[in-house]
Parts: sequence; C-alpha cells; structure tokens
Amino acid sequence: MLVSVKDSISSWFRIEGRGISGYAFIIHRLTGIVLTAYIFLHLAFLTSLTEGESAYTSLIEKTVNIRFLPFDILLIGVTIYHSLNGLRLVIAEFFVTRYHRELFVIFIIVGVVIWIFTSYLLYRFVVV
Amino acid sequence: MEEREVTFIVKRFYRNEWREDRYEFKAVRGMTVLDGLFHIRDNIDPSLSFRASCRMGICGSCGMVINGKAMLACSTQIFDLGTDVVRIEPLRNMEALKDLISDFDDFFEKHRRVKPYLIRKEEKSIEEGEYIQTPDELRKYRQYSLCIKCGLCYDACSITGSNKEYLGPAALASACRFIMDSRDQGEDERIPLVSDHTGCWRCHFMAECSEVCPKEVDPADAIQKLKRKALIYSLKRLFRR
Repeated sequence: MLVSVKDSISSWFRIEGRGISGYAFIIHRLTGIVLTAYIFLHLAFLTSLTEGESAYTSLIEKTVNIRFLPFDILLIGVTIYHSLNGLRLVIAEFFVTRYHRELFVIFIIVGVVIWIFTSYLLYRFVVV
Repeated sequence: MEEREVTFIVKRFYRNEWREDRYEFKAVRGMTVLDGLFHIRDNIDPSLSFRASCRMGICGSCGMVINGKAMLACSTQIFDLGTDVVRIEPLRNMEALKDLISDFDDFFEKHRRVKPYLIRKEEKSIEEGEYIQTPDELRKYRQYSLCIKCGLCYDACSITGSNKEYLGPAALASACRFIMDSRDQGEDERIPLVSDHTGCWRCHFMAECSEVCPKEVDPADAIQKLKRKALIYSLKRLFRR
C-alpha cells in the first residue's frame, strides 16, 4: 500500500495527542526543513563570489546588519535545536533510552543558554 | 450518581466514504467510551460498528483514536477525558473497513515476518525436559512479552504513517522480546530481518508508541535495544570475515 506525499507529511506533523517526544520530533523535522532551505540560500550567496569580490561584499553589507539580526538569531536557534536534539537522540538511542524525556528538558535548558549567549555575541558583532 | 450530557462525534467509514455522526446521551460516572459506544448501538444507532471483546483492557480489540490520541475504549472513562465532546476515529495508519473497525492484516503480517517464536538450533525432545530460565533471564524480556497487539503504537508512529514498509513498533518489540530471550538461538535469522531498511533503523525515536501503549510495553525502548543488538551483530560479522 502506497502512502500519498500529503498523508506521509501530515503524519509527521500531527500535533493532537502527542507527548513531549512527539513535539520534539515535529520541531526536529521543521528545523531540518528550514536548515535545508538555508543551505541552498547560503550556497546561492557563495556563488556571488564568482561575480567578483565587490558583488560578494555588497551582498554581505546588505545582509549583515540590524534589519537581518532577528532572522540570524532565529537561524541560530533553529541550528542549536536541531543539533542538540540530534545529539540527544543519539545518546538516548545508544545509552540512556529510558531517560529521553529528562534529556530533552536538560538539552532545552542548555540550548536556550547557548542561544542567548550566541545571540548576544552576534548582536555585538553586527551592532557594536 | 453523577450524570452528564455528552456528545460523541464518531468518524465513520462505509462503502469508501467518510462521514461524521453526532450522538448525544447521558453518561454516568464510571462509564467507559466503550460503554458509550454500546449505549449508542443499543439505543440510538444499531448500524454503528466497532470491535470489542473482553471489556477490561486485555484483548486489545477496542483500540481507537479518542480525542486525537490512540487509546483502548474499554480502559478510558468518559469523565476522565475532561470534556463533554468526545471525538472518536478508527486507528490511523491502517485501512478502515467499516466505521471504527480497522484492517489489521498488514499489522499481523509484519508481526509474522519477525518470526515471533523461539528458534532453536537443536530442539530438545519432551523427555529431555524444558528449557530452563532463571528469573533474571526472564526479567530481561518480560516487559516486551506483555504486548496485546492492540495496534495503538502502530497508530501513534509517524514513521509507520509515512512508510508502509516499516515493520512498526509492535513487530519490532516482539522481535526484541525473542532476541532477549535466553532460550532463543535465532539471532542469525532474526537480526538481519529487523535491521534492514524496513526495520529498527527506520525508527526516529519519537517514542509516541510508548506514550500510548496501554500495557507499558515501551516499544521505543525495545527498538533502541534492537539498534544496539544490530550494531554489535554487524560489527561481529565484520571482524569475523
């Protein structure tokens, strides 16, 4: 029996009745999609190098500024969540399966701390 | 006795068409969702179809989706749901046959595929006696042997929903149950079956199967154990060559 793409994807994002790990999975998929899209955007940026240094520099000037800061901070959040949750899954799968919920809470706290710190560094880099 | 007016919204399937029917009736404290369905069938709509047997959470027949979550209707009290509107659907990730009855053929076929029985390299005769097992050896797999094949985990698993080839939590937990059994010698047959592209590596560990399991079998834990077993088995084979 084949599953349609719509049914397949909707089964990933079914929110009703989910537990904490279910939400973790849904956010992991969403952040994965965002990061994949960002990689393509990033590569498109880099291809501007083929048009010379000035083209690249003007693109950087347009994007590395206060207007884009919220998006950069969001991107950092997405990256931190996706990487830490991936690490949590590896640890839970191979070492402490029964404590995956506790691990999620710990990793979220650690992630938020890293997010705040890196966002501050980014703010200083862009604004100060 | 406490009484309350409740509304059951039942998602029904008949002759390739879905529809929703609403039923209103007075529920009393202690009444389960299954009692409610029997009440509807006996007093309001005799055409309503659903599966049920033991009415006490043992047979696993009355699995259905109640307010978005897979549950056994016989073990779920209406007043415990915290709402007067109860939405009921058949189990997802399976074909619907009629109303709340889902087709379990695929589910049981996958269960059969993992060889859910003891495999011995050499069988003992009855005269030679039973295969002895210590309580500690029993404890290693006992939890996984409590599965009642209700299919709730199969409904909750998003991977099963998106990949019909995936064996699913119940079959993999059953495989783990036999692999962990000290009397079983079928590792060489069973591990390749559960570690291919339809097996344990498909699991993304969202652990929803364990959240909904009415018997606390914890299929997610069993599948992660299978991953470890499969990894060690593959490494052993690699170095044996």
